[in-house]
Amino acid sequence: MDVSEFFGRQLLSSELPVGWKERVSKLQVQPGIEVMATTVRCNRCGVTTTKQRCTLPNNQFYCPSCIQLGRVSTLNSLVSLPEPNRFERINQKDVLTWKGTLSKTQDKCATDILTVFQERRQHLLWAVTGAGKTEMLFRGIAWALSQGLRVGLASPRIDVCNELFPRLVQAFKRTDIQLLHGRSDIPYRYCQFTICTTHQLLRFKVAFDVLIIDEVDAFPFAQDDGLWFAAQQAKKADGALLFLTATPGKKLFQMIQRKELSISYLPLRYHGHLLPTITCRLASKWQLKLEKGRLPRSLIVQMQQRLKHNIRFLLFVPHVAQLPAVQTSLQHTFPNEQIVTVHAGDPDRLEKVQLMRSEEINFLVTTTILERGVTFPGIDVFVLGADDAVFSSAALVQIAGRAGRNVARPTGDVIFWCQSFAPNVLEAIKQIKYVNRKGRVLQQVRAEDNG
Amino acid sequence: MAECLLCHRSMSHQLTLTQLLLPVPIEKRCCCERCWQQFEAIHSDKACSVCGRQLTTRTICQDCQKWQKQATMEFKNRACFVYNEAMQAFMQQYKFAGDYRLAAVFEPFFRQQVNRQKADIVVPIPVSEETMQTRGFNQVMGLLPNVVYQSPLAIKSNWHKVRQSSKNRHDRLQSPQPFIISRPELIAGKSVLIVDDVYTTGRTIRHAAKLIQDAGARQVNGLTLAR
Repeated sequence: MDVSEFFGRQLLSSELPVGWKERVSKLQVQPGIEVMATTVRCNRCGVTTTKQRCTLPNNQFYCPSCIQLGRVSTLNSLVSLPEPNRFERINQKDVLTWKGTLSKTQDKCATDILTVFQERRQHLLWAVTGAGKTEMLFRGIAWALSQGLRVGLASPRIDVCNELFPRLVQAFKRTDIQLLHGRSDIPYRYCQFTICTTHQLLRFKVAFDVLIIDEVDAFPFAQDDGLWFAAQQAKKADGALLFLTATPGKKLFQMIQRKELSISYLPLRYHGHLLPTITCRLASKWQLKLEKGRLPRSLIVQMQQRLKHNIRFLLFVPHVAQLPAVQTSLQHTFPNEQIVTVHAGDPDRLEKVQLMRSEEINFLVTTTILERGVTFPGIDVFVLGADDAVFSSAALVQIAGRAGRNVARPTGDVIFWCQSFAPNVLEAIKQIKYVNRKGRVLQQVRAEDNG
Repeated sequence: MAECLLCHRSMSHQLTLTQLLLPVPIEKRCCCERCWQQFEAIHSDKACSVCGRQLTTRTICQDCQKWQKQATMEFKNRACFVYNEAMQAFMQQYKFAGDYRLAAVFEPFFRQQVNRQKADIVVPIPVSEETMQTRGFNQVMGLLPNVVYQSPLAIKSNWHKVRQSSKNRHDRLQSPQPFIISRPELIAGKSVLIVDDVYTTGRTIRHAAKLIQDAGARQVNGLTLAR
């Protein structure tokens, strides 16, 4: 084991090889758990737990919140080693090997990001789905790497990390980049640029000069206070922190109001068009009717129209358990169509998504797993039971954002069927209207510039 | 709303009319119905009469026939659940990751089973001092918070630990006696119930049973959460 593996890391004392505690002089040791009167607080994830829930025999305590990454308890302690930024300097011109170009609006955002990194601020980039977020990061990251700074890019989702990794390796061919998540077998090594899941941030301390968190609103990051705490801990005290999202939640808005966070918008998609707006249809008691094998009439009509005009689409349903019923019902209505359903636990998940990608099927019935990170050009989106609690407003905006991702067909239809105008649906509609209003202003400015 | 300890989904508890109207005790569930269904309970009339393994009828399984050939000791074990994937995942989380509060999932059921055996004293299999230092708890005692138990057994002081679960079957069957009797006065003339978390080859629990029997127990039986 090399000492560099501990730079900027925060590990459990029980993970250290024997003798290391004495050998490494700069090692900082702090207790894992702070015990208070009726509660305990974990020093790794910052979560406070009542003693009742986390007591071990002999008056010892542990933290149940971050147990996935190894148990923090009063029996062990947390050790960390300061980050010395021991990286090879690369000439600024040679860092970025990406040769694409940015649109005018993207270019402005890229410069914004660069200033955020240079001034080491906390910033939120609210860019609509399909705006080309990753490419806008390149300029800022390239600057940071050329300065010898340590850069981290974290996302709550493994899929997103896996997708980002090859793109970034292509864009920064000369930089050592590591992909780190719970399901990969590659052991940790010390790299200037780390791409990881937000859970892995719990194992870093004061490591990153620049930390980017993609899809802040996605599960589990948005709901987990421990991960927010981890993000703050993983960056250096004066480090830059950039949040990226298409659907900021309450927490971020509050931070903006308290002026802890600056914000910039990119309300237009990469092809310069607005987001497709949501149409709502009422479908009362559709779940009961589905049990009897019937789907809402208007949904069938819409599907027939799409099939007639060769427009492909996604149909979202709230629960895995409803998929078989929807499938049989559709098979009955469209005997000539191949009906494919997919959900998170589906062993053929990737193959089925591939079928949709390669245009072998006209539509795909899915649960929320396809809400983000997938692009099927020129599709429409239908959601059955959009008012169900499994769809957060962020998820609904993401789902709506699957439509109109094609220059040739930059708008698409997004239709929700719901039993009631639940808060999540209304919030999603409101958010899309809000960004579109901003987008329209930007479109006008652009038109004036060109005219 | 409460959260399932195993899958972390929120669970809603639907009370029956009796529970609503009459002052009957309401059992507090710690895991959702779906997770609970994953565990496969063993019925004693469809299990090996010696080790408690799940079978189609009540006979003696092959492993136990081998045991009976080499030892004359009278020992019967009852196992509550099949050591299936769900149980393995549970043990991984509870015992190896050290999530102590998960014990609550099986505590009520396991307590019932222990009480049903009507033994004079209950003896959990001990863990070594080293394990106590790192894990912080004895996984068997964790399952018995509301049961009175005694600890006449101890781990030999020179016992250096190789995890049983890291050995193969042959090595496990060869492992030497890890226990000593520290308080023989507790056992003499009593009927003893030895409790362990998992019965795999039977080596550990039989070592314990042998010692206890030699120390003068009237009867020795076993109870494990999984087999």
